[in-house]
Amino acid sequence: MATLPQITEEDIQKLDETLREFNTSADATVSLIIDKAGFLITHQGDSDEFDLTTIAALASGAFMANQTIAGLVSETTFNSTYQQGENQSLFVTNVDDHCLLVVIFKSDTGVGVVKYYAITAVKRIARQLKIARKRAPDESLDLSMLNVADTQYFFRKKEKEPGGKKRQ
Amino acid sequence: MAIINQATKELQVKIVYYGPAMGGKTTNLVQVHDHVQTAAGNKGKLVSLATSSDRTLFFDFLPIEAMTIRGFKTKFQLYTVPGQVIYNTTRQLVLRGVDGIVFVADSQFEKMPENVESFQNLMDNLQSLKLNLHDIPYVLQYNKRDLPNVAPMEYMEFLLNNREVQVPSFSATAHRCEGVFETLNMITRLLLHKFINQSVPQYA
Repeated sequence: MATLPQITEEDIQKLDETLREFNTSADATVSLIIDKAGFLITHQGDSDEFDLTTIAALASGAFMANQTIAGLVSETTFNSTYQQGENQSLFVTNVDDHCLLVVIFKSDTGVGVVKYYAITAVKRIARQLKIARKRAPDESLDLSMLNVADTQYFFRKKEKEPGGKKRQ
Repeated sequence: MAIINQATKELQVKIVYYGPAMGGKTTNLVQVHDHVQTAAGNKGKLVSLATSSDRTLFFDFLPIEAMTIRGFKTKFQLYTVPGQVIYNTTRQLVLRGVDGIVFVADSQFEKMPENVESFQNLMDNLQSLKLNLHDIPYVLQYNKRDLPNVAPMEYMEFLLNNREVQVPSFSATAHRCEGVFETLNMITRLLLHKFINQSVPQYA
């Protein structure tokens, strides 16, 4: 299975810049670049009221499900979904084999505007990811110092007092 | 595939709970959600896309942030798949980008054919994604050990863990949270072993 490229801080800065410009042009509330496995890579915009981790997971699942449905009805050009809401709407479009662009925007903003500016943004994002892909990986996360035996209690269960009360 | 984000100093990992219908996959996530000890704000909402009768329709999803390793925040995303046979396409979608698998088997004697079928289905679905089970860390959980009609552990090992390389397996009673954290900690341990042994880890 093909993998995501190495993305450095510089890549993220350029991706964020693209998202900021896109948000301004399209009047989007928040835009996200996500991995098709459901991970959030980066985002820009006013995200305080949104649970972006969950949105990323659900948006990738919904997009992939719709793409599969499109395939079942012999539609081969499927590359975006649009959820029309009363207050906020959601537009998800394909970037490349691994990533999606998710846009949350106020429903009084026309989806046409979002789609129009998304075309340019997607090209820029894809281009940056392509550059990242060509770059040889020269950094790595050194986990070698970690004592893996310690992960026995990586996740701990809450303990209870003998009387059944939870510890403070 | 796991994302190691050098820009935000985060390690993101996807773990999928797989197994036959009604085996206790969702119960595992509910118990982790209810009992995990985390710092405030490190545990996300448990999202369930289920039918009106509480059967998983698409997936359950639980994001948890765990301890920091050498300056990197570790974020685990736990998913379940729908167990029913008809939802195979959905299972394939959820498996995309998987890093580790917990196979939750139902210990009741009459469920053994379903366990075996589900395990074979897991291997088939991984193959359709060009993945091989032997390349992915996984553990087995023999759930519902509190029921009277359970198969002996040795028999379940013979059915599900009878390969060249045997993987860790745990007995569990998920609805009482027994064996749930032991299973989760072991898959976490195997995943971190894998990352350490990989010369070129996955980046984003």
